[in-house]
Amino acid sequence: MKKEVKKVIAMGLAAALMTTMLTGCRFGFASDPDDPNEEEETIPIDTSADTFEYDSSLKGTSITLLNSKAEIQVALEEMGAVFEEKSGVHVEVMPVTDGDSPYTKVVSLYNSGNPPTMSILDTTDVIALAEEKAADLTNEEWTKEATEYLTEVNGKVYSFPLCIEGRGIIYNKAVIDEALGEEFEPETITTLDAFVELLDRLVDAGVEKPISLAKEDWSLGAHHLQYIYETYDGTSEGAQEVIEEIKDGKLDLASYDRMSDFLDMFDVLKKYNVAKGDPLGADYDEMAIDLADGKTAFWFNGNWAWPNLSEAGAENEDEYGFLPYFLNNDADDFANQQIQGSPSKQVMLDGQMASEKEQAAAKEFLSWIVYSEIGQQMLVYTCNVIPPFTNNPYEPVDPLSRDIYEKVHEGKAFNASAIVPNDHWSVLGAAMQKYLAGRSDREELIASIQDYWDEQE
Amino acid sequence: MKQTTIGGTKRKVANALAMAGLIIIFIAYMFPFLMVLINSLKQKRDIIKSPFSWLFTIKGLSFDNFVKAFTQMDFLNAFKNSLIVTVSATVLVTLLAAMLAYYIVRHNNTISKITFALMVASMIIPFQAIMIPLVSIYGGTLNVLNHRITLIFMHTGFSMAMSVFMFHGFIKGNVPMALEEAAYIDGCTHSQTFFKIVLPLLKPIISTMVILNSLAFWNDFLLPSLVLTDKKLLTLPLSTYSFYGTYSADYGTIMAGLLLCVIPILILYIVLQKQIIGGVVAGAVK
Amino acid sequence: MKSKNGAKDFGMFALPGMFCFFAVVIVPFVYGVYLTLTDWNGVSKVKKFIGFKNFAGVVKDTQFWTSLLLTFKYVIVVVVLVNVIAFAIAYLLTRGIKGQNFFRAGFFTPNLIGGIVLGYIWQFVFSRVFVSIGESTGWKLFEVSWLSDPTNAFIALVVVSVWQLSGYMILIYVAGFMGLSEDVMEAASIDGASGFVMLKNIIMPLMMSSVTICLFLTLSRAFMVYDVNLSLTAGAPYGTTEMAAMHVYEKAFTSRQFGVGQSEALILFIIVACISGLQVYFTKKQEVEA
Repeated sequence: MKKEVKKVIAMGLAAALMTTMLTGCRFGFASDPDDPNEEEETIPIDTSADTFEYDSSLKGTSITLLNSKAEIQVALEEMGAVFEEKSGVHVEVMPVTDGDSPYTKVVSLYNSGNPPTMSILDTTDVIALAEEKAADLTNEEWTKEATEYLTEVNGKVYSFPLCIEGRGIIYNKAVIDEALGEEFEPETITTLDAFVELLDRLVDAGVEKPISLAKEDWSLGAHHLQYIYETYDGTSEGAQEVIEEIKDGKLDLASYDRMSDFLDMFDVLKKYNVAKGDPLGADYDEMAIDLADGKTAFWFNGNWAWPNLSEAGAENEDEYGFLPYFLNNDADDFANQQIQGSPSKQVMLDGQMASEKEQAAAKEFLSWIVYSEIGQQMLVYTCNVIPPFTNNPYEPVDPLSRDIYEKVHEGKAFNASAIVPNDHWSVLGAAMQKYLAGRSDREELIASIQDYWDEQE
Repeated sequence: MKQTTIGGTKRKVANALAMAGLIIIFIAYMFPFLMVLINSLKQKRDIIKSPFSWLFTIKGLSFDNFVKAFTQMDFLNAFKNSLIVTVSATVLVTLLAAMLAYYIVRHNNTISKITFALMVASMIIPFQAIMIPLVSIYGGTLNVLNHRITLIFMHTGFSMAMSVFMFHGFIKGNVPMALEEAAYIDGCTHSQTFFKIVLPLLKPIISTMVILNSLAFWNDFLLPSLVLTDKKLLTLPLSTYSFYGTYSADYGTIMAGLLLCVIPILILYIVLQKQIIGGVVAGAVK
Repeated sequence: MKSKNGAKDFGMFALPGMFCFFAVVIVPFVYGVYLTLTDWNGVSKVKKFIGFKNFAGVVKDTQFWTSLLLTFKYVIVVVVLVNVIAFAIAYLLTRGIKGQNFFRAGFFTPNLIGGIVLGYIWQFVFSRVFVSIGESTGWKLFEVSWLSDPTNAFIALVVVSVWQLSGYMILIYVAGFMGLSEDVMEAASIDGASGFVMLKNIIMPLMMSSVTICLFLTLSRAFMVYDVNLSLTAGAPYGTTEMAAMHVYEKAFTSRQFGVGQSEALILFIIVACISGLQVYFTKKQEVEA
């Protein structure tokens, strides 16, 4: 009998589903004038002007693109469709599914004899695979447009920098303005003490716990901790140097100033964390909502957080921006003035299994992104990323990307990314979680970092 | 089954207690599904801020998540793919496993013993241990990935051990030699005997295995994700990939997509449930 | 069916199934074992034979042994709980209780969904639903997310595994109970001490074949838990809930020590093979011919 009830529920659900699909109706208690179901505003792509020269001999070629940047999957598919319309080259965009790391996916695809023509990978993955698998892109035209953002392996370029990403302390200006009753000027904060003072003022003004701090290991292990390498001198070479020194035991982490600087800042973040009661129970999506709602004023994250903020109700016109990750009280220290911004995702072109025609088609696709009016627009507006190419005239529209874009162009960002082993974020992310939860002290954390590097050959 | 009347009130109390306990456990079992059902109708903000409540939502309830999931998954096509793969692999593995198990039970020779031992042992091979060798053999050497038939073949191979194991136990315990011997005396060949006499006797375990195997095939994620990359071939679980982002998950759509994946198999299960229980009873009576 | 047509029987009955099994499971496995003796990193074209060097790497990998120890703890708790609960529920569900078919269907539902998705649902339940219940009721139990404390996260893993596996085992135990003859069941339903003795002395021995299967299945599944581990805790907090299978995967792919990961998988396999072999041997001895 009850079984019947269940059956009826199942059928009813299916029937209701059909009706809503036909009529598109909604029900419920919605009273919010700000209809959550409205289409995201998209900036129309102007396809009228197109001076890009397509190679007609490539028509009918089919290439694949493995995408490890899940949030632009749909955008890339659109881009592929437009490119196919124009050039006759079919681009199949394959996602890296959840539970797989991009590297695992690429490796298994290579083993299956069916590797993607192009793969979007993290820099560390590109370096691991470049000489074995990738096509040499050193002589491609577009390398001239992004000279500062190329990744070289033994003097050769094997990858196409797809976007610049930056990270820091995201602020919601409106919240701070309102709490303090005065205009907040982010440039005035240049030391850790000034930052703490600001936090205390916010607390007094009723923003009780002003900071959101993600507990995810990639955030703690990669985005926080890597400051100790990247702020060595603000360059990738410097980061490499300091890593070598830690490995060789030449640099004692316990007395390394960036290590203690970093922990001082991290302790501040910890102290004002909105999830202080249960730091490891913090929810990523809730952080976005809290910041947009004004329950918090800061969130340590990067420009990739915009889709979450926008979903939580933030608008393109709202004022969000980045503060640096303050490391000490020296106002002249570059780390207190600049935020980190560097190319993150790279496109690697298969040079092993792909036919010459496929390689040529893939190269055309990459050039198209850099040089065609449509490709330039789509990279910025459809994918919503910050282009590393100086010839791209379009500017990002969301406040976070815009802030990084401006900082990059004003020289207020340092381009350093530490190339660390693939398990750095997960192993040391765990150590950082332990520290965040208050279950380990500085010595233990530093010891685990040292141990980690000692184990690397 | 008849209810015995011995025992009186004490028994009634025991029964009532058992029933109450059962209901409590049952509700606890169902709790996550209830959460999925409720939240599949809500907007993300409400899901995150008040996952438990239904009525006091800010944005209201709607079927939007279902519509979004339905289109993003390309539901009908994915459903078709899942159906083809699940049905073919289930039929194949059930038949082949029953035959192999029958052979092993009736022929106690070295090959049987080794095969059976290998099968039992193989049930504890971590899938991770054969994942890479598997793709490098089938993709690199044979180059047959990205076909439905390859996936069907692999599903069959991977569930063979477990199915043979179950059939083996059942045949040993429930299929008397005497029947077959009588059939041979009547002049039946081995295959006639198997299909006409033995297979019908296996009905209870067959329905159990059909359910268990088809569920496993329907829901499997890892193997299809290794074998299939062509979008047109994706099965239902693979088609929900895009709801899980790198940084955060689209809860509402995930839950709606989940229900869309489960509803077909739930209906099948409800329909087949009678058969399973009926089959088990028939098997029990012998 | 003795020998005369031995070859033909073999070809017809055994070969097709064996072929599938060997082609998909045994051949890749053997190849995988071979790979543990090489320095292949999963990518390169050349493989060099390096003997047992990878196994030396396993010995050095302390995290592997920690995760193995944790896995043992997990397996013991899960196997006991799953079988006791499933046995008890199956027993109740074959006594002619009202709506027993409905219950049987209901308890099985966790198995209608794949492990990865289940883990996500429960992660949502533990980290959002329970915490929100805790917030509104003030219950200490749900004050902080279970997943942020090592002990509670372990308990959460056990809860989810028991929840999922017991439905499956209920099905097998129910089939077992239904295979018992009416007289036995009737005898068992007599209440009081004699009923319990009956259960112990008559039903249990007759149920041993089901017990063998269920123990074997729970043992092997618990040892190889991966899906739920990945999607529920992913080893969090700070790597304290990383089980052996997950560690193997991480070692091979995240840490990119393919050979070491593959060797650890082999060791895990040998351990599970020994333990479940022993279990089958001992429980089989308890079985009585029906």
